[in-house]
Amino acid sequence: MGNKQTIFTPEQLDAYQDCTFFTRKEILRLFYRYRDLAPQLVPLDYTDKPDVTLPYELIGSMPELKDNPFRQRIAEVFSEDGEGNMTLDDFLDMFSVLSEMAPRDLKAYYAFKIYDFNNDDYICKSDLEKTVNKLTRNELTPEEVSLACDKVIDEADLDNDGKLSLEDFQHMIIRAPDFLSTFHIRI
Amino acid sequence: MAAVTGSAAVKSAKSCKKYRTVKRRASIYTYQEPPHSNSDNDNGEEKADSHDPEQIFQNIQYQKEIMSNIRCRPWPMRQKLRALRQAKEIVLKYEGRLTRTRGYQAAGAELWRKFIRLAYNFVVIFIPWEMRIKKIESHFGSGVASYFIFLRWLFGINIVLTIMTGAFVVLPELLAGAPFGSTVSKTIPKEHIASAQDLDTIWSLGGYLQYSVLFYGYYGRDRKIGKAGYRLPLAYFLVGMAVFAYSFIILLKKMAKNSRMSLASASDENYTFCWRLFCAWDYLIGNPEAAESKAAAIVNSIREAILEEQEKKKSKNLAVTISLRIIANILVLLSLAGSIYIIYFVVDRSQRLERTKKELTLWEKNEVSVVVSLITMIAPSAFELVAALEMYHPRTTLRFQLARVLVLYLGNLYSLIIALLDKVDSMSVTDSEVNYDASNSTTYLPTKTLPEEKNLSTTIPDVQIKRNSTVTLEDSRTQNLTVSDSLVNKTVFFDYNTQNPQDQCWETYVGQEMLKLSIIDMIFTVASILLIDFFRGLFVRYLSDCWCWDLESKFPEYGEFKIAENVLHLVYNQGMIWMGAFFSPCLPAFNVLKLIGLMYLRSWAVLTCNVPHQQVFRASRSNNFYLAMLLFMLFLCMLPTIFAIARYKPSLNCGPFSGQEKIYDIVSETIQNDFPAWFNTVITYISSPVVVLPALLLLFMLIYYLQSIARSLKFTNNQLRMKIQTERTEDKKKVVQMAAARIQNLDGNDKRPEQESDIISQESSVRSSTPRKNGSVLNFESPVSKSTRIQTISQSVAQTVPSADAARPVNTTPTTSTSLTPAPSVPSVQKPRSDHITNRYPSVVHGSAGDLCKTKPYTPVTFKKHVEDVHSEPLFRKGIRQVNPDALGAGAPVFVGRRPHATRYFLVNEHESRKKLLRSTSRLPKHFRMDEAGDIIELYPRNVRRYVVRTPHRMYSPHPSEEEDDEEDLRRDLMSRTHRPRSLSDLRPAPRFYIGEHADGHVLMGKDIAKVHYKSWDDGFELDLDRPPYAYKKVHLKNVEVDQHYPEQRVKPKSKQKLEQSLTESDSVSIESSSDPQNSGNDQYIQVIHSKEKYLKPGAKLTKKKSKNSIDLSVSEPNDLVCSNV
Repeated sequence: MGNKQTIFTPEQLDAYQDCTFFTRKEILRLFYRYRDLAPQLVPLDYTDKPDVTLPYELIGSMPELKDNPFRQRIAEVFSEDGEGNMTLDDFLDMFSVLSEMAPRDLKAYYAFKIYDFNNDDYICKSDLEKTVNKLTRNELTPEEVSLACDKVIDEADLDNDGKLSLEDFQHMIIRAPDFLSTFHIRI
Repeated sequence: MAAVTGSAAVKSAKSCKKYRTVKRRASIYTYQEPPHSNSDNDNGEEKADSHDPEQIFQNIQYQKEIMSNIRCRPWPMRQKLRALRQAKEIVLKYEGRLTRTRGYQAAGAELWRKFIRLAYNFVVIFIPWEMRIKKIESHFGSGVASYFIFLRWLFGINIVLTIMTGAFVVLPELLAGAPFGSTVSKTIPKEHIASAQDLDTIWSLGGYLQYSVLFYGYYGRDRKIGKAGYRLPLAYFLVGMAVFAYSFIILLKKMAKNSRMSLASASDENYTFCWRLFCAWDYLIGNPEAAESKAAAIVNSIREAILEEQEKKKSKNLAVTISLRIIANILVLLSLAGSIYIIYFVVDRSQRLERTKKELTLWEKNEVSVVVSLITMIAPSAFELVAALEMYHPRTTLRFQLARVLVLYLGNLYSLIIALLDKVDSMSVTDSEVNYDASNSTTYLPTKTLPEEKNLSTTIPDVQIKRNSTVTLEDSRTQNLTVSDSLVNKTVFFDYNTQNPQDQCWETYVGQEMLKLSIIDMIFTVASILLIDFFRGLFVRYLSDCWCWDLESKFPEYGEFKIAENVLHLVYNQGMIWMGAFFSPCLPAFNVLKLIGLMYLRSWAVLTCNVPHQQVFRASRSNNFYLAMLLFMLFLCMLPTIFAIARYKPSLNCGPFSGQEKIYDIVSETIQNDFPAWFNTVITYISSPVVVLPALLLLFMLIYYLQSIARSLKFTNNQLRMKIQTERTEDKKKVVQMAAARIQNLDGNDKRPEQESDIISQESSVRSSTPRKNGSVLNFESPVSKSTRIQTISQSVAQTVPSADAARPVNTTPTTSTSLTPAPSVPSVQKPRSDHITNRYPSVVHGSAGDLCKTKPYTPVTFKKHVEDVHSEPLFRKGIRQVNPDALGAGAPVFVGRRPHATRYFLVNEHESRKKLLRSTSRLPKHFRMDEAGDIIELYPRNVRRYVVRTPHRMYSPHPSEEEDDEEDLRRDLMSRTHRPRSLSDLRPAPRFYIGEHADGHVLMGKDIAKVHYKSWDDGFELDLDRPPYAYKKVHLKNVEVDQHYPEQRVKPKSKQKLEQSLTESDSVSIESSSDPQNSGNDQYIQVIHSKEKYLKPGAKLTKKKSKNSIDLSVSEPNDLVCSNV
């Protein structure tokens, strides 16, 4: 316990608890998970907020993310530099959003960002194609992919601008019965 | 060239990044209020009314709100932490001023919240088999998992039922009831003691088991037991009813929840693709194998969706399918009728055999049960074959299959129930007979029971043979019928001849039957899993190498997990539990064990020896179909129990209700005896027709009312959906029309439509500008159509007695009109022309930057150019200035000043029109967008050539006087008009046209400065790009002095040629970059000349000062820009 105390100040822990969906214990567990990725890089003392960033290669090798076709995107979206290199804050943020407790809207917001590969705040056809290809591991023929993408845009694009805005996406995803159950990572 | 594009790419990447961050913040802000503005407001509030407690309170509440749901905001952690800190500080600072109670309240609420969360976390741990189900899900998809989830849910229900019966009936009886052997109903009769521990007896639930808490007969009839006076009989009755009530409520609740969830989805099924895409990946999947199978499943599901989509479009041969379906249904009905007939026939035959033969063979004994179980095994497969005929959507097929199997099971179950009730009937008859005359009863009984039994499909065969032991024999018979178990047959009770009153416990008998059924069902399930799945799997796996055909892919294959049948089996099983729970309170407990076993066995079997179903359709959690079946089953299973309770007299010598006329009398009796008199009277009133009938009526009315409301809501719902649909389609049409019009414009030979469209496209901005300045409006339109331009020019000229002021209107109008950045223009107005010079830097810079920010990444191609232009300007400007001092000094600055605005303006337009176009193209295939881009590129060159030829004349011919210029303008405009038709025929909306403006400027000035530059146009850009903005200014100032040497007159002719040359060159080199300089030379000239008119000679010092100003402005303006973008 004394050991834990030195990692974060109580204020820090409180703040983290307020900012994430985790309990104190889970935050500490996540910290250890984070540290285990690179024990030589991450200090055991976070009270003075060291500026430590783990490269994407390490983040992406976590078993929780290893098999996820969107791991790169997840890391990019949640990292502050947009390159997938994560600080502890980003790390907590990521798993907080992906936790079971996170509300649907928040999840939808980040899901949108994850599927928005080119960061233009719209899911356009190229994004969709990337999504499909990642999902199916390039098993589908280009025709099938493009057909599927067209159908998606056709279904969800409410304002007819040929791409999905955040509103379109939320409107669609909120109705999905198993979005909540699938869009989370247990850690 | 390559270098240029490379550097341009770098630029665009940078600007994109910048844009991204800006946008990111912007989107965050729009999503929820930004923290900064919050804090700003708060600070303001604090200062303003820090003494108003209400205000403080609200503020604190607000901050608390932020604190409480900050985790729900999509900000990066750092931002969240900062906002949280701010909020906390504020709360801390001001909370003390409020009353303490509020603080306590808040603290209490917080504590409660934490506790709830803890409890929730604790509960979550106890959700059983989560990982097991997840594992199955990741291998087999949600369809198979739905079976297990359903199983788990049933398990939960049974747990509750077990707790109910266990806590309120079984435990009290065990603890406080009379001990075993103390009363007649709790002792095993002497004749049976010897065989009470035989395996046979136990197997058929006789002996010790029969006289235990397992069954109804064991429970004592004492009104109150124990010291506390626990009313066991009442509890027994109430719990029996509560079991049904609870099941109903939980089932309906679940269904309502599901339908609420699926309502949203069911109403618009049209999101299939979206969901298959965006919800497809299960982020939980954490092992490569599962990931692979998931990917494969996703591929399947997408293919499937595509196929379905194509199916939809395909028009089928309706007649054939309909006739096929009719045939299929007839076949199904025939097979159902056939199975019923076979059962009837077999039962009848076995009955006859029983009557005629003394000794029955093994087959004859088990004939009925074997036939029944065979039918239940074969019929589903037959139904499946038939279903193939129907060619329904697989999901529909599944449902039909389920419904048919359900009917089959129900027929099975109901035959048992009817037989049992007949039995009960005969038992109560014998009961009464026994009271009169024991010897008579035997002869009397058969005649009474037989006819009835014959009418029913199930019969009790040996009634006539073994008259003395009718009751017990029939027990084993009926059980045989349904259960198909050979062991059970009449083993137990043969040896006693006298009718012992304590055996006349029909409730116990029914309970025994149900429990037996349940046990045998379990055995069958295990056997079938082992045989059909496991051994087959082993067989296929290990013998496929040495077999004559491929076992794995041809005949036996591996077992498939049949969701439909298995779910139905669960439903059937649960139905038995409900049916028997009243008579055997431990049945739910037994079922819990059974379900646990089933869970492990099934999941093991699925994971080891089953293959995923070829077509996985989700009949998943959100689907109410299973639940509907279960509800149906519950209702049907409740009927016989309720009927038995209401219809039959409870047994005389056993059970909690012995001695009563009806089972439910216990309630009225309790009310009468144990409640105060007034309660009794109230109850009598309530149960009198006076109250009941109106209440019933009211209920009906309520139901009707609610139903009509539901209907109307459904109607409006439909209408709204229709409305949305039509609006969407209309929108689409409109967009398509617009797009078509655009295309026509692009291709059309007529110039007017274009101009019109241009005007239209710019109208919006014109309007925005009008309120501000009148003069500006005119000026404003000028870019659009030539004629107006002339007017504006003259206007400005009129105003321009003082050179600096003259420049102002021209300058200001565009800026104001751009509405993007009104701020910069205002200061510039008051300052002399040098201001304009300075102005244009920032404005150009941020104008283009703004565009970059706004436009989407796919447009950078065009905007890169702007960036280049911006940077390259200075060079040309120098040139202008040199020219100007000689002729009319003012020209250069104003020109410069004006240019940026104009460009900015157009860029804005460009953006808008682009947007429109994009929108319009959205419904068209996206090539259109590309076309557009292509157009830009292609069109410019043409323009340019034409314009270029013209422009030189004007540009260089006249300078000196304003009047001349005006005239020239007129002339030029006239010319340009005449020219335009030709050139513009290819042109498209204005915006694109103007993109090139700066470039034009460059062209002109570039010529003046250095032809070399011009030739190596692209290279020059490159160099410029890398220079920071202020560098230009320096260059400027130098140039002002240095460049004056250039005699402009001389330059002119050469420059003309140069221009032309360079244009062609640049065309060949790169369409994109060259297009800029070329396209709008015409406009450019006009502007240049204007500026000359308005300007006095610019002093170098002045420009210096301005340059400082410009820096300031440039600093401030970007901020403005950001804001406006946001």
